[in-house]
Amino acid sequence: MSGKKLFNEAKTYHHRFNTRRHFLSQCKTGMGLMALGSLLDSCNLFGGDLQDLDNTKNPLQPKAPHFQGKAKSVIFLHMAGAPSQLEMFDYKPELQKMDGLDCPDSFIQGKKFAFIRGVPKLLGPQANFKQYGESGLWLSDNLPHFSQVIDDVSILKAVNTDQFNHAPAQLLMHCGTARLGRPSIGSWVTYGLGSENSNLPGFVVLTSGGRNPDSGKSVWGSGFLPSVYQGVQCRSEGDPVLFLKDPNGFDRDMRKSSIEAINKINELAYNEYQDPEILSRIAQYEMAFKMQIAVPDVMNIADEPAYIHEMYGTEPGKESFANNALLARKLVEKGVRFVQLFDWGWDSHGTDPGTALDQGFITKCRQTDKTITALLLDLKQRGLLDETLVVWGGEFGRTPMQENRDGKQNYFKGRDHHADAFSMWMAGGGIKGGFSYGETDPIGYNAIDGKVSVYDVQATILKQLGFDHEQLTYQFQGRDFRLTDVFGKVIDPIIA
Amino acid sequence: MLKSKYTIAITGLMLITGIYLIFFTRKPVNYSADVKPIINQKCISCHGGVKKKGGFSLLFREEALAATASGKPAIIPGDAANSDMIKRLYHNDPEERMPYREEPLSKEEKDILTRWIDEGARFETHWSYLPVTKPSLPKSGLLSLFSGKYDNDIDRFIDEKLDEIDLERTEEADKRTLLRRVSLDLIGMPAPDSIGQQFLKDEGPDAYSKLVDNLLSLPAYGERWTALWMDLARYADTKGYERDYIRSIWRYRDWLIKAFNQDMPYNQFITEQIAGDLLPGATNEQLIATAFHRNTMTNDEGGTDNEEFRTAAIIDRVNTTWETLMGTSFACVQCHSHPYDPFKHEDYYRFMAYFNNSRDEDTYDEDPLLREFRNKSALQFDSLTSWLSAKLTINEHKLFYNQLIRTGHACVNSIQADSLINAALEDTKFLRLRKTGIARFKQMDFNGYKELMIRYRSPVDKGSLTIHADSLKTVPIATAQFSKTNGGWQLISIPVSANFSGVHDLFFSYNSPLLKDVNDNGIVIDWFTAIPSFPEKENPIGKYYYGLFTGLLNNPDAEKTPVMLDNPSYMKRKTYIFERGNWLLKTNEVEPGLPEIFTQETAKRTKNRLELARWMTDKNNPLTARTMVNRLWEQLFGQGLVETLEDLGSQGAIPTHRELLDFLAYNFMHEENWSVKKLLKRIVTSETYRQRSLVSKDALKKDPLNKYYARAPRVRLSAEQIRDQALVICGTLSNKMYGPSVMPYQPEGIWKSPYDERKWIQSQGEDQYRRSIYTYWKRTSPYPSMVNFDGTAREVCLTRRIRTNTPLQALTILNDSTYWDLSVKLAKGVMQDKNADVKQRISKAYELATGQPITPQKVIVLDDLYVQSLKKLGNDQERIKKMMSDSIYKKEDRQLAAMSMVTNAILNLDEVITKN
Repeated sequence: MSGKKLFNEAKTYHHRFNTRRHFLSQCKTGMGLMALGSLLDSCNLFGGDLQDLDNTKNPLQPKAPHFQGKAKSVIFLHMAGAPSQLEMFDYKPELQKMDGLDCPDSFIQGKKFAFIRGVPKLLGPQANFKQYGESGLWLSDNLPHFSQVIDDVSILKAVNTDQFNHAPAQLLMHCGTARLGRPSIGSWVTYGLGSENSNLPGFVVLTSGGRNPDSGKSVWGSGFLPSVYQGVQCRSEGDPVLFLKDPNGFDRDMRKSSIEAINKINELAYNEYQDPEILSRIAQYEMAFKMQIAVPDVMNIADEPAYIHEMYGTEPGKESFANNALLARKLVEKGVRFVQLFDWGWDSHGTDPGTALDQGFITKCRQTDKTITALLLDLKQRGLLDETLVVWGGEFGRTPMQENRDGKQNYFKGRDHHADAFSMWMAGGGIKGGFSYGETDPIGYNAIDGKVSVYDVQATILKQLGFDHEQLTYQFQGRDFRLTDVFGKVIDPIIA
Repeated sequence: MLKSKYTIAITGLMLITGIYLIFFTRKPVNYSADVKPIINQKCISCHGGVKKKGGFSLLFREEALAATASGKPAIIPGDAANSDMIKRLYHNDPEERMPYREEPLSKEEKDILTRWIDEGARFETHWSYLPVTKPSLPKSGLLSLFSGKYDNDIDRFIDEKLDEIDLERTEEADKRTLLRRVSLDLIGMPAPDSIGQQFLKDEGPDAYSKLVDNLLSLPAYGERWTALWMDLARYADTKGYERDYIRSIWRYRDWLIKAFNQDMPYNQFITEQIAGDLLPGATNEQLIATAFHRNTMTNDEGGTDNEEFRTAAIIDRVNTTWETLMGTSFACVQCHSHPYDPFKHEDYYRFMAYFNNSRDEDTYDEDPLLREFRNKSALQFDSLTSWLSAKLTINEHKLFYNQLIRTGHACVNSIQADSLINAALEDTKFLRLRKTGIARFKQMDFNGYKELMIRYRSPVDKGSLTIHADSLKTVPIATAQFSKTNGGWQLISIPVSANFSGVHDLFFSYNSPLLKDVNDNGIVIDWFTAIPSFPEKENPIGKYYYGLFTGLLNNPDAEKTPVMLDNPSYMKRKTYIFERGNWLLKTNEVEPGLPEIFTQETAKRTKNRLELARWMTDKNNPLTARTMVNRLWEQLFGQGLVETLEDLGSQGAIPTHRELLDFLAYNFMHEENWSVKKLLKRIVTSETYRQRSLVSKDALKKDPLNKYYARAPRVRLSAEQIRDQALVICGTLSNKMYGPSVMPYQPEGIWKSPYDERKWIQSQGEDQYRRSIYTYWKRTSPYPSMVNFDGTAREVCLTRRIRTNTPLQALTILNDSTYWDLSVKLAKGVMQDKNADVKQRISKAYELATGQPITPQKVIVLDDLYVQSLKKLGNDQERIKKMMSDSIYKKEDRQLAAMSMVTNAILNLDEVITKN
């Protein structure tokens, strides 16, 4: 065994203790005191600056990544259901010419589809495309607003996944595996970077209309990582987080003294049992207290100026993607590391008007186009876009063929699930603007150039945050796990 | 600190050196320990179940030794030097060298593979697929030389491993700690006072053993273990998917509680749940047991393909059976051969064939349903069946009527219709015939029965239906007239022509002169069935009983529960392999069968669901007992002997104490006759279980995750335990058992059902305070405070809850009205003692919550909280009224509010929500 390998092994072994269990041995006095300390220091409630604290004490303490990253935060806009790249970004004039023709055998031979059976017909783009911006990137007329920010984004046109059903594909996108039980990307990031704001969770999830994605809450789960790293779901209606409000008649002071008492006794319990979970619990109670103020504050969009509401299309009190997008900006502004937005309704099979490419799909584009454009512009005007990586995409794409469910042409124009090639985009956080990477064949079926996998996207996100995706690991069940499993290659061409 | 870092580094170096030495001692390589891990990590993703690059797979020996795409085998047993597999590891050309475009294998790894081939390239069956044999007890370790004999063999196994890392078990916990621990474990909440006091006073050597027996005999025991099983069975009170309508299946929960309380042997427990309906003379209870697999989701969304969701339910049954009952992640085999374990793609579908012939088919009312008649209907059922039994001469007919009335077996659901003309499957739920409407039902067999019963609704008068066999051109075999119906479904029974028999396609042809257009709606058919002629219908007595019969069939006063029933032979479905798991891409037909790896005689004979259950509970089945033992261990210790309860296969966690697992599994089957109570007693009476949960620095360092059990674990209570315990502490728990689910307090705006007007209507009276297992479970919106403590939606089975520790949990117990309400109740309780002072009251509340006397330090902290609270409340009567939810202010409310602050803090303490 070479000396280098031995050294690396020893380093890994040492590291293991330095991550999950490490802070335990040192913090019997530290964390408890910190917990109480910052509670009493109520002027610190909104600032969330923890620089004065020893960074070994809190699992969410800001931590240095492997190298200087360009992005501090990530906003991941997931269009659950999987939007059609062929009506948004991937312009295929050839496909238009072949509209209505039988799909060539070579594309369907030995292929699997969720619903298509037999020989489907090709379906030309259900939108008109034009070039925009200095970059001259193609965009469909479904995205009239997005043309304003086209020179800020890098479009990936040949993303590939190996899952063609929603739940597993969503899991793969966020957890690097199609099965349950692994940490989500937001958890990995907060595990690696901690949170810059001790009053807010490091990883927040917002879902349009309160609906969960098909794969449920696992897409923001912490898997085998300590649970402090899991995403916290915030509601945009009612109590933003359930049970956030104190019982009637309480005031802050009373809540503070009760949490102080709880944590003092828990500290005594820690002294007795040395159980690290107690320290974690102390931290959670402290966080709960701080969240009670910080969350309603950050979740309140009513005080935003009118022009901002106009820009985003927000209506305070309503559950909408627009409200969530504005909240995402507020959250990253406050130092939240990872904000995941789930929108739904993008599953354009063409089984009914709502899933028709020339009806419901257009509505979905309209609902989000202005908002997403506003988000990028707003981040930019605040100087936040440089340090905020915005990622947009679905869990896969749509087929160039019109869906023929059960072998019968669907009544409405729709497309089936397509895993081989689809579009995503990234903006900000050190990503090139006005750039397109990857190419599909003339009908948009296969990637022919610049093919990237979901793992590559994950590796790139981690790179922008300052991580080598192969080194951000956690030992579980006897081996080192990482988000990208044994795959992933940073998409260097899109990095500025 | 620096010093300890170096210590760790040096320990690390030593460990690695150790591994190094092991590798270089020339023993034959061990396939499972040495070879399989390399293959799993480095080779199998290209050369395994999913992909067979170059025609080479390493999953099964016969595949590995077979000719590859190159035409010759890659492995030549005994000759590594000439085996391509090895040559390719050393190849200079990066395009040729394996693993392809990955880091090359290390020298040690290459060496292991080389030696493995030189030694014959033997494959080994993974331990969990080999039958459980009786393991020999470990030779007494050093420890036992001093401590004398072992009362409980579990401790021998534990000590053997502890010797390896030079740790010792901790001493026995104090009685109060033990009492709380074992009560929470066995009954899910603190023991009733009488039982607890008896134990604390009992100085005898068998006091603990008596306590365990007492707890095991409480009805609360069954409720606690039912909570666990509800996750495995994915129990919910709604159907799931988008519409998520109500489902009534609580009778299954009742069945579970009773089965656990009666200590039904686990083999019987499994058999009845998998195949209770196929047991000879199946009772209602045995039918209810089969609701286990009727907890699958059904989809009511209009336009959804019933066959798609029926298939999804069957697939779920397959996955659940393997994952929960046999600790095997089988789901991946749906799409391809198992990437790591010896299950082939076709094995999945052969197994699916066992489940593919149940009668349910995603219908709106979830047929088949067992009807348990109540009140008048129960009397009518008795009188009807005894009358029929006297009048019917053929036993088959008696059975037929009995089954039809109890379960609707075997009605033909109208959604089976095809070749529709002027007809539609409305909302994919019912067959609607319009003016001159026609529908076909394929391959119907009337069994020689001469009457046809149809359930229908008709919006118009003068409807007529003619039924033809094989073609519309034939002479009708039956005709019927329909008048307009009001309200609900009606039944009609029509005679079938006397010479009709055999298997035929039936054509239903409908018309009514009152319908003007082909798009005008005529009758809706729910189902139909052929029945043996009802006796003496022409005389008044017979007519009376016929009335009872149709009444009971159509609209009985009964609890209806979805159950499993098999298709009659003429409805048998064929089972096909789905290409890449896609139900639409059917390939070869398969017969029911078990994966080839199970070679026991019983496995070969297993042809139906009942035989499957028999095989699963055969003592030679390697997985069933191990899985259950592992699960029970996890429930008591917070982690399984194999951490991955869902996967005992080669990709699951390595067992910490494999011999102990086998020892317990063997005894469970052979000595304890599958008694869960006996197994639990064996574990909780071990010294290992009874240790203190204090940890020394040494132990924390050597075994931070407590995999060696040198101390008792500290485990946060489950969602159910936290709530139930709080109800007990505050003296409000209702002892009411069984029955439909209840709706305790839940915040506004939780239920979001776009298609459903149903609301969460808070239960009144004691139903507010029932045990948590009775809480209404809506899949798309499960009870939030339980979800915050790791409960799940139960859309699919959950083999283990991963414990989390989050601020939302803190907020739940601090702020959820349920817990505030309980805090106030606890405060009221301790304030009843007028002679006690504040500190005594605080001590009392603490003792109620933890079962332990409070320490002076803690009294100071809580008393301080009380004093501060009083001060802050001042004389703010409005605020105090709000806190106490009182309409008028009473003088004692101020103290009560302050004490409630204290009791609320107590309910939040780590030591209250954690099992010490």
